[in-house]
Amino acid sequence: MSEVAIVGVGCVGFRPILPELSYKELMFEAAVKAYEDAGINPRKDVDVFITCAEDYLEGFSIFDEFVPDQLGAVLRHLFTVSGDGLLGLATAYMLIKTGQFDTVVLEAHSKASDILTFMDIVAFALDPILNRPLGGHPYYVAGMEMNRYLHDTCTTMEQCAQVAVKNKKNALENPYAAYGANITLDQVLCSDTWFYPLKKLEISTPADGCVVMVLASENVAEKLTDKSIWVKGVGWCTETPNLETRDWSKTVYTRLAAEMAYKKARIHSPWKELDFAEVNDLFAYKELQHMEALKLCEYGEAGKLTEEGLTARNGELPVNPSGGLLGMGYGLEASGMQKLLEVVLQLRGEAGRRQIPDAEVGLAHAWRGIPTATGITAVLSNVK
Amino acid sequence: MSLEKITNPLHVRHWLGDMEADYIYTLGVAGEHFLEEIKENGRIMGAKCPRCNITYVPPKMYCEKCFAKLEKWVDIGKKGVVHTFTVATIDVDGKKLEKPVIYALIKFEGACGGLIHKIGETKPEKIKIGMKVEAVFKPSFERKASINDIAYFKPAE
Repeated sequence: MSEVAIVGVGCVGFRPILPELSYKELMFEAAVKAYEDAGINPRKDVDVFITCAEDYLEGFSIFDEFVPDQLGAVLRHLFTVSGDGLLGLATAYMLIKTGQFDTVVLEAHSKASDILTFMDIVAFALDPILNRPLGGHPYYVAGMEMNRYLHDTCTTMEQCAQVAVKNKKNALENPYAAYGANITLDQVLCSDTWFYPLKKLEISTPADGCVVMVLASENVAEKLTDKSIWVKGVGWCTETPNLETRDWSKTVYTRLAAEMAYKKARIHSPWKELDFAEVNDLFAYKELQHMEALKLCEYGEAGKLTEEGLTARNGELPVNPSGGLLGMGYGLEASGMQKLLEVVLQLRGEAGRRQIPDAEVGLAHAWRGIPTATGITAVLSNVK
Repeated sequence: MSLEKITNPLHVRHWLGDMEADYIYTLGVAGEHFLEEIKENGRIMGAKCPRCNITYVPPKMYCEKCFAKLEKWVDIGKKGVVHTFTVATIDVDGKKLEKPVIYALIKFEGACGGLIHKIGETKPEKIKIGMKVEAVFKPSFERKASINDIAYFKPAE
């Protein structure tokens, strides 16, 4: 069975707002960059195109139909995955593994600034009979989850705030990041408490941007480039949509997604075997929760490791060297692709001033946000 | 570097559109029983799986573990425990609320699951994880077979 490689990447954004481009032009520009990077002609060299988009976030019924032209996919073989970009990666991986397809293009984007009522859409994802009638800002779910997590693990508010400080600082070195900043722990802790104990500066702000990648089978990849990044394993899981029965402290969905990916990638001690990890940090405390579920450390330990600087860019296991979603901005269904982009750039040695020396194995992780319990994990390496 | 950036798309040239989408959500067998009992009798019901010995709150028509159809209804009482809570200070549009709203997940003894609801008759700083609370129902003439027929939960002895 062929190995699966990422042979081209293109990114536009991420910016708080990209007013000069329509969503189609945004996708077009990222696609041109990815095809140039891979050295392919989309009109001839691509077997399947995959776009990852959710109709409500696009403002279209059946958004799929509005995709082909800006990707060079008119009258070609295209479909939409209604989920995070990393679910698209899993799909592309499987397509190439069948041996029937050699070249797959993967796209995900966010034109968050076009959505005037984003929080209403998030609220619309809550159970219509049991939860929605209570009303309010749907991120109260995150406040409740953080509170239980802190209670069960003795993780402190300072340790959570440190995630925001670290990630926003990392983002200063990332040209694809919208919200890089030098902030202090006190600034985070003194920012408004929107959903106790969750603070304003611990919540990622949406951003506009697009990531396109070209994936190829071993044979094609080796002809195209000598800087292939290999997909060693992918895993995904959904726990339950029910707020009432889910685990409020451990992210079971991430644990099971990680175990699936680690098994395939033959990773046994993630802390030792990974050189860095790009972990979902939509809210600062989520980075800690997800680190534990990804087996980067024991349950309840992530806060301490963060406080001691072990997850900083020059630490033992850098977490979110890209700046994460807190620093790059929340790219909606492209948020997994933001992580994947950083992994590819780091493993190629193209991460500029934020380059982690000698990085060989990296992890990308996504969570589909409030109120979902869906996680996706991918392990990548520059060694086949 | 400023922390606040311009994110208002209305400042650029655009076309305004909206999608009007209205739905009804059928309650179903278990949902109807659950909300009818709240409305008519002020009782919170669960559904019990005799095989797995699990009582689901809110009730389900089927067991998540063994997939059996559930037909046994159990009154689980009005008192529960705060499993977790938060205090929301902004509304869905990001505006500061005049009075913060306390949301909580309330779990009931012997039941799997619980109810997400609001906490009333107390102050945010008095709420603790693990504290006992009890349901306060709206007067029967105001009830509509909705989760909001429970006005809120209040601290209990």
